[in-house]
Amino acid sequence: MTLTDAPPTAQPEWLSTGKKAAPAVVRWAVAILCALAAFSVIIVFKGASPLEVFGDMWVSTFVRPRSLVEILNTMAPIALAALAVVVPARAGMSNVGGEGQLIVGAIAAAGVALATDQFLPGETVMVLMLLAGIVGGAAWAAIAGMLRLVFQVNEAVSTLLLNFVALDLLLFLIYQPWREDPSGQPTSRELVDTAKLPEISGLGIGIGIVIAVVAAIAVFFVLKYTRWGFKLSVVGGNAEAARRAGLHVPVLILSALLVGGALAGIAGMIQFAGIEYKLRAGFGLQIGYIGFLASWLARHRPLPVLLASFVFAALAVAGDSLQLDAQLPAATVSILTAFILIAVLGFTQKKGAAL
Amino acid sequence: MTNVVGAPNESESSTALVPILRVERFTKHFAEVKANTDVSLDVLPGEVHALVGENGAGKSTLLKMIYGVYTPDSGRMLIDDVEVSLGSPAEARNLGIGMVFQDLRLVPALSVTENMALSLDVGAILRPRALAKRIAAASEEYGLAVEPRALVQHLSIGERQRAEILKVLMTGARLVILDEPTSVLAPQEVQALFGVVDRLRSQGFGILIVTHKLNEVRAIADRVTVLRGGVPILEGVKPSDYTDEQLITAMVGHAVPALPVERSAVDADAEHALSLESVSSRGDKGHEALKSISLTVRRGELVGVAGVAGSGQRELCEVATGLRDVTSGTVKIAGLAAATPRKAIDAGAVSVPEDPVADSVVTRLTVLEHMPLDGRPFPRRRWGIDWARIKSKTAESNDRLGLRIAPIGRKLFELSGGNIQRVILTRELSADSTLVVAAYPSRGLDISNVRRTQQVLLDRRAGGAGVLMISEDLDELMAMADRIVVLHDGHLSGEVLPADYDRQHIGRLMLGGVA
Repeated sequence: MTLTDAPPTAQPEWLSTGKKAAPAVVRWAVAILCALAAFSVIIVFKGASPLEVFGDMWVSTFVRPRSLVEILNTMAPIALAALAVVVPARAGMSNVGGEGQLIVGAIAAAGVALATDQFLPGETVMVLMLLAGIVGGAAWAAIAGMLRLVFQVNEAVSTLLLNFVALDLLLFLIYQPWREDPSGQPTSRELVDTAKLPEISGLGIGIGIVIAVVAAIAVFFVLKYTRWGFKLSVVGGNAEAARRAGLHVPVLILSALLVGGALAGIAGMIQFAGIEYKLRAGFGLQIGYIGFLASWLARHRPLPVLLASFVFAALAVAGDSLQLDAQLPAATVSILTAFILIAVLGFTQKKGAAL
Repeated sequence: MTNVVGAPNESESSTALVPILRVERFTKHFAEVKANTDVSLDVLPGEVHALVGENGAGKSTLLKMIYGVYTPDSGRMLIDDVEVSLGSPAEARNLGIGMVFQDLRLVPALSVTENMALSLDVGAILRPRALAKRIAAASEEYGLAVEPRALVQHLSIGERQRAEILKVLMTGARLVILDEPTSVLAPQEVQALFGVVDRLRSQGFGILIVTHKLNEVRAIADRVTVLRGGVPILEGVKPSDYTDEQLITAMVGHAVPALPVERSAVDADAEHALSLESVSSRGDKGHEALKSISLTVRRGELVGVAGVAGSGQRELCEVATGLRDVTSGTVKIAGLAAATPRKAIDAGAVSVPEDPVADSVVTRLTVLEHMPLDGRPFPRRRWGIDWARIKSKTAESNDRLGLRIAPIGRKLFELSGGNIQRVILTRELSADSTLVVAAYPSRGLDISNVRRTQQVLLDRRAGGAGVLMISEDLDELMAMADRIVVLHDGHLSGEVLPADYDRQHIGRLMLGGVA
């Protein structure tokens, strides 16, 4: 028997490719339909008509002209909070602390504003608030980073716990030193008008969404095309391989967390200077967590994060209308949010791909 | 479901032995890959049949069809002359086919008895004592010494393998398939295994053994089948009728040049590429893995390290490349302290890790993206990396080293172990270096790539690098090393010079015996 050629040495194709999966759009559509179907069951139990509810949500979310503005404004801090998860995730870390980093970023921005907004020009205050937000968010993340590097505390746990600390810090400030009116609601003094973030030429859309989009594009380019971004992928993929390649793993881990914290800090600054204008007890409630979910929905990729945050922002706006129009509790929309997240993650799971 | 399609043949000639297993013209194609084409093979009772071939020759596919994992596209299989078609490994086991996998399938935290209980039909209530008795009886019957109460994690690899074989026999196997059983064993353990195989043969079992080592074929096999590219090149021939060269040519498709025997002598005054002075270090579990080891490797010298797996090889490699802290002693590369990976790399060390998949591979990245991870500064292009330059360097290294790495766009999780090994070898061995620490460099490779890798390592040595090479293959070490040191339980139990190279002698040192 003769066989002149060398045996095939390449890996056979059948080992590398699974079945041809349906296109992403189809899988997303199926997932959202399933989520809506499951949600309908709940609506029926609450005694409402699903079709009516969905109709109301559609109208209030996409037909009413103010809605789009509202969605985009809501979306900006969510997207930044999501990017705060994306960057550490690239280095293999779970930053659950977007909420706390956002609050501390807002506190830092507010502190700078309270100290300067009455005598510095508005633009200068805005720049100072941005820098303060970045530093505040990054500093809060740095605590978790140091805990991990020095004491090997898992960052998912420490960032989560630091959220509660940040919230207490906020409450302390608005109840004690920064309280404007001892007899009224505990809030800080409102930002002066000149220092409030501007809107885009009278559309009512805040500058925040521009910052968020620019940040998403910047994160995309930095992760994809810089040496730092490449090193993060190596650390995130296999820290031991990174160590053996002589990379400074602790520095990379810390820097990824710091950048994440800084992005959340920017979100806090936007929420403060562009939306709420004062610190109060429910400041920026849950934006950090919604951003965390948005990042997961986008599989920690910076550009899809914009789409995912848009979806969550739309759901948040729809939730408000649900409460008003259909007399359903506002929490109902959180159930829909959860259904969508689970369904999309389930239906679009890549075979064999590690999350 | 087991479908018994044919009826037993009326025995026409009562003298001829009926094969336990007969495979006739098995063909299995996966899309374009012809994994098996018209492969026939039979195993008689009381016979050892060796199945040999390179990686990708189709051995695994054939085993999986015999064991009911895959269904053949065409061809038939007979057990005791009865045609069967298998739908699952359970059916194969019911028909008396037993498989001992390369990666042994015992649960380390359980005792031998408990492991047996997992695979034997012992009913819903575990009766450990009765089972232990059964195991002891079987152990005696087949001559497989196994302590039923021992926890598997306390057994050596050789003992685990014996337990696994015993398990297969106790499930009623008459045909025992051994998938590369010797790849994990020390030479003495190989001999013990072959003793077991011999005994099983004399008791009338059929043995199908997969290997890629010719000396093992010669030592144990009655007949041999050689596969190449999914096609049988030699079918059930007697190994004694063929020379080594003929068998290698059958496996590889061309003659593989032997390693050059003549090599330049080591310059006794050459600088130390690596020097360890009374180095001790702890393993991952906190035990003392290295005990006061002193060792030097000169530039232009290849030092081989022999030892039973787990004797401190991993820790030795890691200490030598700054990856593991020492508890005492000093490590120097080219005279410079090598306390961190960064310092070791800067001093000129490269390394091929023991477990590249765990230690060097980022599964989501491509082959190309692994190439700059050699510890040298990335070629820069503004803020990013000059991938074009890495691409051309990779192509150049690939041509020069000849290890034929996979296409650079492939992600590592798509690659087999051998392909991953070639990527790491090509990256680590393409540039000049002072010190090469290579752990099991030819692991997972087939004969032609093994030879190519050995040649590359010798080229690095000739180029002035000191080479520290760990291998489980004594023949490889004896063919390549200027000197062999033997690790036993974390200390050096001996040093052997080429004039004294002898398997038995080195083997005794590996087991801790005095020379």
